[in-house]
Amino acid sequence: MTYDFVEPVVFALLSIGLIAGGVAVVMLSRITAAALLMAFTFLSMAGMFVLLGAETIALFQVLIYVGAITVLILYGVMFTKFSDRPRALFFQRQTPFAAVFVAAVAIPVAIIALSFTSPTPRPGGGDLIPLATSVFTDFAFPFEIASVLLLAAMIGAIVLTKRDEPEEAAARRRR
Amino acid sequence: MPVGPFGIDPLIWAPLRLVIAVGLALFLVLNGALLQIYLERKIQAIIQDRLGPYHVGPFGLLQTFADALKLISKEDVRAAATDGWFFVAAPALVFCPMLASWVVLPFAQDIVGANLNVGLLYLTTLGSMTVLGIVIAGWASNNKYALVGGLRSAGQLISYEIPQILALVSVTLVVGSLSMIDITRSQAGPFVNVLVLPFSFVIYFIAALAETNRTPFDLPEAESELVAGWLTEYSGMRWGTMLALSEYGNVTVVCAIITTLWFGGWQGPGVDAIPLLGVLWFTLKVYGFIVVMMWIRATLPRLRIDQLMSFCWKGLIPMALVNIVVVAVLALAFPTTKIPIAIASWLLLAVFVAGIPVVQRRRLRALRARARAATAPAARAAS
Repeated sequence: MTYDFVEPVVFALLSIGLIAGGVAVVMLSRITAAALLMAFTFLSMAGMFVLLGAETIALFQVLIYVGAITVLILYGVMFTKFSDRPRALFFQRQTPFAAVFVAAVAIPVAIIALSFTSPTPRPGGGDLIPLATSVFTDFAFPFEIASVLLLAAMIGAIVLTKRDEPEEAAARRRR
Repeated sequence: MPVGPFGIDPLIWAPLRLVIAVGLALFLVLNGALLQIYLERKIQAIIQDRLGPYHVGPFGLLQTFADALKLISKEDVRAAATDGWFFVAAPALVFCPMLASWVVLPFAQDIVGANLNVGLLYLTTLGSMTVLGIVIAGWASNNKYALVGGLRSAGQLISYEIPQILALVSVTLVVGSLSMIDITRSQAGPFVNVLVLPFSFVIYFIAALAETNRTPFDLPEAESELVAGWLTEYSGMRWGTMLALSEYGNVTVVCAIITTLWFGGWQGPGVDAIPLLGVLWFTLKVYGFIVVMMWIRATLPRLRIDQLMSFCWKGLIPMALVNIVVVAVLALAFPTTKIPIAIASWLLLAVFVAGIPVVQRRRLRALRARARAATAPAARAAS
């Protein structure tokens, strides 16, 4: 008796969690529940990465998406009133467009996924040192571009949300 | 048929090992929390010239057991307006990452749950997940004190995570590994990492105090100002799980990280002869740092939230970045010796310690001048 069946079972559980979580995020109208389920989806995704032997990616997935992005989304939810306007007024009229877009994305993905033959597995592919080396040598340019983009977004956010100093605002009012 | 350890079928052994590990970690967390609450009370009592608990059991040793029994037997109160499942889920979301991080703590040479090659990253990741539970708790309580407390707490935790991680990076640069076991092994002999990297240790220790909500950074649960912040609506064992177990568990985890990274982990005299002695050394070092944290709690007053944030963003993060640059350059320039890094790190520490009062005095002077300028026209108008 061999134990090869364990991995497909874990994979199946994770995929069910991933897909069900993703569907629930879209379908639920309670936005905090959606945010929490999104964290769950990210965790299932991290489990997938662990299954593929990429622990580092899995940990970064949890660190960034669960620890930072979900918390940011919850922050955003808490600072917004969501009862002011009727929900989903805008999105519900877009069914035909949505169907076209979903088809445009889903059909190529399905074709690629079905015709995909996995390359020979390279052990240690998720290892930290090769990952770091490739980020800072082969992919240095994309990495820097992403960093500059994030920096620009950060500075933009600060500029947009910065309030004037109280004295300055008072001085302007007096003028 | 494959046979695992102790002649047990590996298919049974793998889940069994998980159950044993979780049970052991739970046992350690529960008893550690009881012991640390007792220690905290006694140490604060000694520092403040009081007696502390002494009625229940010898030296009041059973006081925390009695308190725990009281907490467990308390009625499970939930306000009607709280947000159902979230309110129940939040304590678990705070507790589980803490429990999971015990997996990689190296208690002794071979006594470790899992020797992950990214162990340090794993600990950081789990530390960042606590914020989610705190925000959810604040939201689900449906109470303005809890909500504000939760948001403030999340802001503090997210901010102090940055210097914490940056301080860890410099250790990894010197050691060249993220595995807790390898980091401990690299510090054989008396030359532990704190002699090489004292500055990153100080940064990490300050940030860790904030991460575990210890004084002087215990704003998230400031009883006197925020009616205990995000914990307002919680009582009984939910409160116990979130505050007592998770906080003291996190303190232990953080102190274990400090011990492993900067103070040689389980290593100590006589470990090579009797490997089990490592558990003793590790525990002693960890509890040494826990006692230091309690000593700080009994000594220092609480910071204000703006002081807390400006200290992190204007003080700790820039210095941590400078530290990383210096350590990385020196590690590349002198790959064979650690002495230049040690000299640079001690110098940085001296600059940091000497610089804080200078900067603080200048800031205060500027603030005072601004306040005077703001009130002067009003005073003239009134007269």
